[in-house]
Amino acid sequence: MENTNEQNKEMTAQESLSLITETLNNSRKEITRRSGKYFLFWGVLLTFFSLFIYILCKATGSDAWNNLWFALPAIGFPLERVLRGKEDPNGARNDISRIVGGIWGTFGIFACTVAAFTLIYTQVGTSLFGLISVLNGLTAEIVLLFGLAECVSGVALKNWIIKIAGFVTGIGGLSIHYLVLDGMEQLFIFTFAGLVLVATGLIVKSQYK
Amino acid sequence: MFPKLDPLLHSELRLAVMSILAGVEEADFTYLKEQTGATSGNLSVQIDKLAAAEYITVEKGFKGKMPRTTCKITASGAEAFREYVKALKKYLAAGK
Repeated sequence: MENTNEQNKEMTAQESLSLITETLNNSRKEITRRSGKYFLFWGVLLTFFSLFIYILCKATGSDAWNNLWFALPAIGFPLERVLRGKEDPNGARNDISRIVGGIWGTFGIFACTVAAFTLIYTQVGTSLFGLISVLNGLTAEIVLLFGLAECVSGVALKNWIIKIAGFVTGIGGLSIHYLVLDGMEQLFIFTFAGLVLVATGLIVKSQYK
Repeated sequence: MFPKLDPLLHSELRLAVMSILAGVEEADFTYLKEQTGATSGNLSVQIDKLAAAEYITVEKGFKGKMPRTTCKITASGAEAFREYVKALKKYLAAGK
């Protein structure tokens, strides 16, 4: 918009509709661009955690180090808040960003609850029946939820890269779980999910430079 | 018979403001100014017109020590915006 007269002029129907479409698209692009930063951040954190926990498990021979996963949201969310705080001092919270935030918040709640319940069931199962097989399914459940959350974020943002990345993470992670990896090496499924997230973040950021 | 286009929305800057506010929970004056590229004076006048028609609400407050004016679309504003877009589509469909 060039000057005051231009800004206050009446428009044709086509011009009006173009302006509305452009504004809404700009809004979506802006939030998708910002989401790239968060995908990158969580991807790096997830990759780091999976490798760190794997090294600790391998070195000590104990899978109790898996409890460190509960520290991921405890560390990630405050850091994300710091990251967000600096980005848009004039703040206009977009409906799409609220939806994407809700999707990942829901994933976090589901993942933590499923993990906690699995641990409880495992303890109960082990002490009562000597069962420990419940833990084996946890990686598959969480990576599937993770892929679903990523894919639905892509739907909300209307971004094919994110949709495909979500599908690759969920179905790819599940396939790796069933076909390739076993035991402690299953932690590499989260490394895979983290690296896909990092790649998604980098691609999205480069799309909306 | 074509529906009448809402004269309040049929102005570039007011429509831009409404389009932005239609997609966000709320936005402050500085954000609207950046997004529309409008001058402070003109934007302020157009915001007052939209507020007078109760299409938006305007709240004046502080963010830290800095004054902050926040705008939010109302239910009647959202409805007027929807009707406006519907009317535009009818015009364009008839022109094809």
